[in-house]
Formats: sequence, structure tokens, C-alpha cells
Amino acid sequence: MSRFTPPSASENPVRRYDIWLWVILVLLAALYPFTQPTTARLLIAIQMFMLITLASNWNLIGGMTGYVDFGHLTFFGIGAYTVGILMTRSGEVIFAPQLSFWQAWPFSGLTAMLFALTLGAATLRLKGPYFSIAMLATLLAMREIVRLFTPLTGGGGGLDLPPELNRIQEYYIALGLMALSVGLMWWIRNSEFGLSLLAIREDEIGAEMRGINTTLHKTTAFALSAFLTGLVGGFWAWQNTYIDPDVVFFEPRNLEMIMAAVLGGLGTVWGPPLGAAVLYWLREFFWNRFLFAHLLGLGLMLIFVVLFLPGGLVGLLQKGRVTSVLDLWRLQPAHEEET
Amino acid sequence: MSFLQALLNGILVGGFYGFMILGFSIIWGVMGIINLAHGEYVMMGAYFAWAMFRQFGIDPLISAVLVFPVMFVVGYVLQWLVINRVVERPHLISLLLSFGISISIANIYKLIYTADYRSVTVSYAGSFQLAGLTFPTVKTIIFFAGLLLMAALHLFLQRTRLGKSIRAAAQNKEAAKIVGIDINRVYAITAGICVGLTAMAGAMIAPIQPIFPFMGPLFTVRAFAITALGGLGRIPGALLGGLLLGIVETLLTIYVPGTGAKVGTAVSFLILVLVLVTRPQGLLKGLRPVEEGA
Repeated sequence: MSRFTPPSASENPVRRYDIWLWVILVLLAALYPFTQPTTARLLIAIQMFMLITLASNWNLIGGMTGYVDFGHLTFFGIGAYTVGILMTRSGEVIFAPQLSFWQAWPFSGLTAMLFALTLGAATLRLKGPYFSIAMLATLLAMREIVRLFTPLTGGGGGLDLPPELNRIQEYYIALGLMALSVGLMWWIRNSEFGLSLLAIREDEIGAEMRGINTTLHKTTAFALSAFLTGLVGGFWAWQNTYIDPDVVFFEPRNLEMIMAAVLGGLGTVWGPPLGAAVLYWLREFFWNRFLFAHLLGLGLMLIFVVLFLPGGLVGLLQKGRVTSVLDLWRLQPAHEEET
Repeated sequence: MSFLQALLNGILVGGFYGFMILGFSIIWGVMGIINLAHGEYVMMGAYFAWAMFRQFGIDPLISAVLVFPVMFVVGYVLQWLVINRVVERPHLISLLLSFGISISIANIYKLIYTADYRSVTVSYAGSFQLAGLTFPTVKTIIFFAGLLLMAALHLFLQRTRLGKSIRAAAQNKEAAKIVGIDINRVYAITAGICVGLTAMAGAMIAPIQPIFPFMGPLFTVRAFAITALGGLGRIPGALLGGLLLGIVETLLTIYVPGTGAKVGTAVSFLILVLVLVTRPQGLLKGLRPVEEGA
């Protein structure tokens, strides 16, 4: 099927080189710790990188494949608890020596991926909305299950992880994870695999008729997304040094992940990182003063973006002009996201 | 607790669920929209009953009648101004939109009423004995009120002109337009009725349910599960799915040790996911499958 040349390579010379912009950005970011930043600033950067990573991973299943996952935080939580349990309780529970973070971390991605494969075998057979609600239910159920299995997870009391606070090391891990996730998205978007995912989003039956193995593609995308999300979760648990069901399965994080992808532009490579950066900036410098209304702000913003900016920020930039508010309100679906 | 008693409790809860999810089921059946804000309308009705009870000592059952016109207007306006704009667009858009509405409503209520748990204690909160079984009074009342309202809605949809135009819009939108039905208005009225009924359910459940701003998602997920089990926009299907879920939930809570009410709910979600996967077309045969698309 390699007769498909990705349209990007031939028609859009910009897109071929946009990855170099990303490489330069990442390299610049890698230099940041040499400017002797304060710990607080490093922490802000780490949090932002994590949000970008999460948004980009969510975009893989929610934006490109069109399976809106309202429970993606489940994989984050599984990753976090894998690292938490392996680092503190493995002696009592699974009779293995307690692992260091570096030994435990890969397992966070693997367990999340295994869970995604098991779950996906079931839920990915569900079409559109069925999938979304099944995942929402999974998230709600997972929070209660984690609370219930006290011997393993510490229940509501949570787990204390051995602290090993080296913010600069954490900064590079977060940066690497982000660079990897977004780079992978770029590669997927420009590969036949990515085109197949977009085809599934646009018309799943049609894609199947064309000979795309939709089940395989969907499951791969889901598992890959879960793997990376699990890694973020495991890393987050370690750098936070404490986990319990409420801080891990934290509602706003779930929403921010989705919101960032929608705000930036679903199914695009650069949209989710851009959306996450904007969203994070908004949160740090604006909403932090109105913390009580943070979720309300996110909810209203989601409504606004869905109604008026269906292509996200990237869609807005690509159109080359800012649509007038009146045009937006009349809302003829002249948007057409980049596909 | 005897098995029969457990079954009775399940049936009482389940019959009420059947009524509680009707709004969700009809909106989905008529407009093809998965309304993720459904649980929030239940929550709004419950808060209405709580506020009326606290301020004026009005019984939740009377509040349930009062709340209908108020929430009809809310549903109508929201549909007219916002949701009608995305009816034609892919599922993805309306899902995200209603998710945003759901979050916004829950958090507006959190700002107004704080996140504290509220409760309404009515004078008839006890139970009575009949044929060797214990009937919780409130649950019995709302069970029969739910059945009555379902029957009323059924008659409305079958017999009245407006009800017929709603069904016409659900069956074939283009044809409905051709025979002169103002589709946007029909959608708005449908949404008004559905939101009003959902809030009524919320007001009725206020005496037996802790009320807090984030109670919504539990009801939304239940509504979804029941609709998927029983079929879209079908009143008998809603009743059947509701009974099934009510019974499974109750039996699990009683017979599986160590599961409180919350965990019982979580486990029944998982069971429902399994049912969804193995029988995506629902439990009843011959139902209109959900349109493809995402």
C-alpha cells in the first residue's frame, strides 16, 4: 500500500521541515537549566512538559483516530500506581526486591499498555459515543477499585514514595518524554499508519473497505497512547513522592488533557502542544488567582472552542485570517480541520 | 436480608432509574446527541428540591412538579442557543460540547452551594410492612410516580400533535421538514421536556440521595448504560434496562462483601461495559442501532 505518498512530503514543503523547528525548540529547552533557574521555575516547566505530553498522547487516540477518550487518565493512574507499588510495596506484595525508580519506570508504561490492550479489545469494538462513555465509566470505576484494594494501593491513605528530589534530572526526563511523544506524533502523522488513523476517523467502514485493518490500527494507536501516558503517570508519581486516588485520578487533569488537544486542534501534530502551552500559561498566570473557578473556566472554554473554533488554534492560524465574531456566531461549518 | 427483599429494593430503584434516564434516551433517539450533561440536570432538580425544602419547607414531591416549568425553560433556551448549532455536526463535536456544559453546570453549582453534601429529610422517610416485605416509603412513592410519568409521556408522544411531530423528527428529519415541521423548534421543545423530566427525577430522589455538585456523572453513566441496554428513545426499553441495572446494583451491594454503595456502583459499571461489548445492539432485539460515526 506504499503507493500512498503522504501529501505532506510532496505538496506541503513546510511540513517536511517543521520537525526541525521542534528539534531546535527542544535543544533550546535543554539549555534552560544552565541559566540557574529557581526550583519553582523548573517545576513549572516540568508540569508544562507533562501537560504537553499528555495532550499529545490523547490526541493520538482522541484526535487522530476520532475515539474520544473521556477516561484516558486511567492509564496515567495505572502508571502512577505501578511505580508507587513497585517502589514501596513490592517486598510484601509480589515478593520481589523493592525497585528503584529507573527499574520500576518501564513497567508503568507496560502495565498501562497491557491494560489498554485488554480494555481496547473490548471497548474499541464500540463505536464513537459508546467508547467514550465506556472509558468514562472505566475511570470512575478505577478510582473506586484503587481505593478498595488497600493492601496493594494504600487505599485512601495513599502511598509515600522514597523522595529523591533532583529537579534538574526530573526536568530532563520530562523534556525527553515530551520530545519523544511529540516527535512520534509527527512521524505518525506523516506515515501511512497516521493516514489510516485519519481515514478511520473520517469513515471507519469506508476505511475498512479500502483494506485498512481498522482493528489493528485502532488498537495500536490506543496501546501506544496508553504506554506513553502510563510513563507520564509513573514519572509524575515519582516526582510528586506521594500518591492517593484523589490526587492521581484528579478530575481537572483529565479535563485539561482533553481541553489542550481540542484548543490546539484535534488531529494535528502541533495543535495539542500549542494548546497545552497556552492552557498552562492561562492557568499559571490567570486562573491561579481564581482557583475556585478553574474548572468552570475550563468547561466554558470547551464550549466556546467547540462552537467557535472547531479547528482549534492551529486551524485558526492556517486559515490565515481571523474570522469575525459574527461569522463565528452564524457558524456555517466552513471550518474543516486540517486533515 | 432475604433474597426477595433485595430483589424488591432493586426493582424499586430500577423502576425509578427507568424514569430518570428517559430524557437522555429521548434526546439521543431524536437528535442523535449523547447528552453528557444529563446527570447535571438530575443534580439541578435535587438542589431545587433541597432549596425549596430549606427555605419554605416545601415537600420534594411538590418541588418535583414546580421544577418542571423552570427546567423546561432552561432546556429550551440551551437547546435553542447552543446545542442546535451542533446537531448536524459529527458526534465528536456534540460529545465535547455537552461535556463542557456538564463541567460548567457542576462548577457553577459548586460556587453557589459549595461542595458540601446536602440532604433532605422528609417526615415519611421510614418504611412500612406489606406481605412480609419491608417497603421503604420514599422509594415506593417515587417508583409509582416514575411509572405514572412514563405512562403520561408515552401518551403524549403517541396521541398529541406535538408528540407526533417529535417522533416524526426522530424518524426522518428531512421528511419532517418537508411536511412543515419546524425542526429547530421541535428540538428545543424536546430538550425542554427532557430536561424538565430529568430535573423532576432529581427532585424526587432528593430525600434518599446525598446532594452535591458532582453527583452528576454517576447518573450520566447509568443513563448511558440503561439506554444502551434498552434501546434509544424507547420507554419500555428504558424501564427494562432500569430494572436490570437497579437489581444488579442492589444485589451486588448486598451479596458481595466489602463493597459499599459506591463500589457496588463501580462494579455494575464494569458489568455493563461487558454487556455493551458482547451485545452492542442492546438487550432487546430489533432496535434501531445507533447511527455509525464519531
